[in-house]
Amino acid sequence: MTSATLLFLIIGLGLFAWFFGRLKASGLKASGKSSRSALHSLPNYHGWYVALWAIVPAAIFMAVWSFVSPALITDAALASPASAGLPQGAFARAAILSEARAIAYGNQVNAFNPLSQSMVEPYRDAISYYQMIGAVAALLMVFACGVYAWLQIKPDLRARTKIERVTMLILLLASLIAIVTTVGIFLSLVFETARFFSMVSPIDFLFGTEWNPRAVAGPRGETGFGAIPLFWGTVFIGAIIAMIVAIPLGLMSAIYLTQYAPAKLRAWMKPILEVLAGVPTVVYGYFAALTVAPALRDFAVSIGISGASSESALAAGVVMGIMIIPFVSSMADDSIAAVPSAMRDGSLAMGATHSETIKKVLIPAALPGVVGGVLLAVSRAIGETMIVVMAAGLAANMTVNPFSSVTTVTTQIVQLLTGDQEFDSPKTLAAFALGLVLFIVTLLLNLIALRVVKKYREAYE
Amino acid sequence: MNSLTETKRRPTDWQGAEMQQRIARRYAAERRFKALGMAAVMLSASFLAFLLVVMVGNGFRGFTQTELPVEIDFPAVTGGASPSQFQGPNANANVQSMGLREIVDSSIEIQYGQDGTNLFSSGGWTAVNAMILSNPDIVEQKATVYLPVISEIDVAYKDAGNPEAEQKVRELEDKLSTGFNWNFLSNSDATDPMQVGIWGAFKGSLITMIVTLLLAFPVGVLAALYLEEYAPKNRLTDLIEVSINNLAAVPSIIFGLLGLAVFLNFFGMPRSGALVGGLTLALMTMPVIVITGRNAVKSVPPSIREAALGIGASPLQVVFHHVLPLALPGILTGTIIGMARALGETAPLLMIGMRAFIATPPSGITDPATVLPVQIFLWSDEVDRGFVEKTSAAIIVLLLFLLTMNALAIYLRNRFETRW
Repeated sequence: MTSATLLFLIIGLGLFAWFFGRLKASGLKASGKSSRSALHSLPNYHGWYVALWAIVPAAIFMAVWSFVSPALITDAALASPASAGLPQGAFARAAILSEARAIAYGNQVNAFNPLSQSMVEPYRDAISYYQMIGAVAALLMVFACGVYAWLQIKPDLRARTKIERVTMLILLLASLIAIVTTVGIFLSLVFETARFFSMVSPIDFLFGTEWNPRAVAGPRGETGFGAIPLFWGTVFIGAIIAMIVAIPLGLMSAIYLTQYAPAKLRAWMKPILEVLAGVPTVVYGYFAALTVAPALRDFAVSIGISGASSESALAAGVVMGIMIIPFVSSMADDSIAAVPSAMRDGSLAMGATHSETIKKVLIPAALPGVVGGVLLAVSRAIGETMIVVMAAGLAANMTVNPFSSVTTVTTQIVQLLTGDQEFDSPKTLAAFALGLVLFIVTLLLNLIALRVVKKYREAYE
Repeated sequence: MNSLTETKRRPTDWQGAEMQQRIARRYAAERRFKALGMAAVMLSASFLAFLLVVMVGNGFRGFTQTELPVEIDFPAVTGGASPSQFQGPNANANVQSMGLREIVDSSIEIQYGQDGTNLFSSGGWTAVNAMILSNPDIVEQKATVYLPVISEIDVAYKDAGNPEAEQKVRELEDKLSTGFNWNFLSNSDATDPMQVGIWGAFKGSLITMIVTLLLAFPVGVLAALYLEEYAPKNRLTDLIEVSINNLAAVPSIIFGLLGLAVFLNFFGMPRSGALVGGLTLALMTMPVIVITGRNAVKSVPPSIREAALGIGASPLQVVFHHVLPLALPGILTGTIIGMARALGETAPLLMIGMRAFIATPPSGITDPATVLPVQIFLWSDEVDRGFVEKTSAAIIVLLLFLLTMNALAIYLRNRFETRW
């Protein structure tokens, strides 16, 4: 019996438990009407009480059993006569055992080592033996606990209180998943980065200017893991070119839509701009690589720029800027709307035109919010992956020429992890180090941005 | 003080030429500013329009294929097979065993000469296979089937290809025709652009999304309820809130690294499977659901809670019997938006190995699978020009799904969301 069938069986028995618990409680309710022995909780809660008692201990037992049983199975297999021919060396022994185990579980079809084949049968016997023990024990637990809970059903059993306590625990656990995920991200990145830094010095990584990752160090000990060109490429595309496109367009769109546009135009244009944010990044990447990049290269060649690449920083940056427009625009929209209308009305009453009011009163007042929004946009742009993977190049250049090719942190993460899949080579581990840098930088940008926005909100409240 | 200003400055001559000029200048600046704003909005919108036009213009052709007619004399080539062989439970096996590929090839050679088979896409005979299964009577007749040509001729016929293929197109001009590419909807990935399809990727996306939804929705809703309704003001709650806000802003590729390090390397889950993809995307989608869910729960007025408490409901009953049903439309809207984002996500799935070449649709959550955006990425990397229109066609399909989901979210919001 596999664990999945067993789990379904237990849940099915839980349904029965629910039914019987409810039945008994309903009986008590019918007999106890208008007397002092009225039920404390509704019959439903008694049903849940019995069902939870039936399922939860058995499920916990199954989880524990799945951790314990592999060791027991191996012991049992080794105790069998077939294990006599096994080599004494611990390493060779472990290799044969793991192969036999894989075959016995059905993950592998044929053995490379004939000795493994001989161990398959003992393994199969041990597995079925211990699986049977586990299944029987789990089912016994379902019955024992279910009957115990069923016997407990009395009019004054506070079933609802108990069920609610369990539900609260589940709610709390669901919220804790967020913390677990954050800690998981941080730990997995830090752990792999530490392994990377045991092979490559952190100074070389953070301040080196040559990015040419290879598995073995070069003749003068150089490893080619200098990440400065990647950082520059990321900043150049995400924080400079993309923002040059997105800030003016996003800000002016927000100003026009909130201050000038007739209601009807606003009702149409706002969703259209939001669609820009909903287009998947892989589509932008394809658009950049297929349409924008060749057009920009032809343009560069026609105005006489030599060395224009078809994978230019400009193409990736411009398309990323387009993607960011709705983001900047909605942040600017929010912060302009938060400026007290008294300030705007006062300026207009003094005879300033609309544009003068906007330029001299609204924007200065909304500036902290706008800056916070731009920081959030930057953090999103530098973490963006598909556009740069598809449209920016792989050459780690330190250049300010937007028509040449640069590479970014995210591009290199994808590049490093999709090539060879040796998990211990510094090449794959470098991806985690880059990921950690990216994680910390975006985290800081977000924290700063949120603080700026919050401070500014408070100023007007 | 008063006399001082009066002697220094005469009253403003509002009607004077200088003042009029100044006002005209200010009004001109006002008009310029307004026009600038208008231009910004129009430029942004035209980017979207341009993107859509390029994709639809390229992708529309991906749904069609160039075909040549092939006449197959079934009674002669099969040696008198009867339709009954291709009905019932053994139909598939019987078709497989009749050597259809050779039959089709020999029919092609009769009509298009010795090199005729070079004109046709190598997997084209499978269309005949399907045709026999759907209509067994065909084996008693002479039938003309339309089979897809090779990718080079397809490109040359639709657009402009290499000179050799253009030459072929001119020779066959009156025989070539365009038909709907059903393969594109029913096949999976292939090396021949004429035989590729999005069904495998679509199914992979579907399974991945189901896993994501099953994990992210309950957890997200329960977390939102806890944080909004029960959480005490303490360190732990602050920590949870900070984590959720952070997770919502973490770049998606970081989730891919998490999936690679934890799910694949630590827990040893099967690589490239929809299970790991769905788990990774669920972690990404959950914060979105929590944040929108909290807003929806917050917007339920306190009077509802007080009324329920007043008639003796327990705090849990208040939330699950009254607050949650009222907040559900808002939560669903947020969920759909989060799922739409997950559906278009590519980068984290590349990290966990969903970029392999997979020619059979997955049938379970642990089978190697790929998803629509990753399929688009893979095709965009292909050198063969035939893949350009297929990539755009896949993009059209993806965008259609995303638009439908977003439209559904907007509809739900307008239809069910109550303004209190």
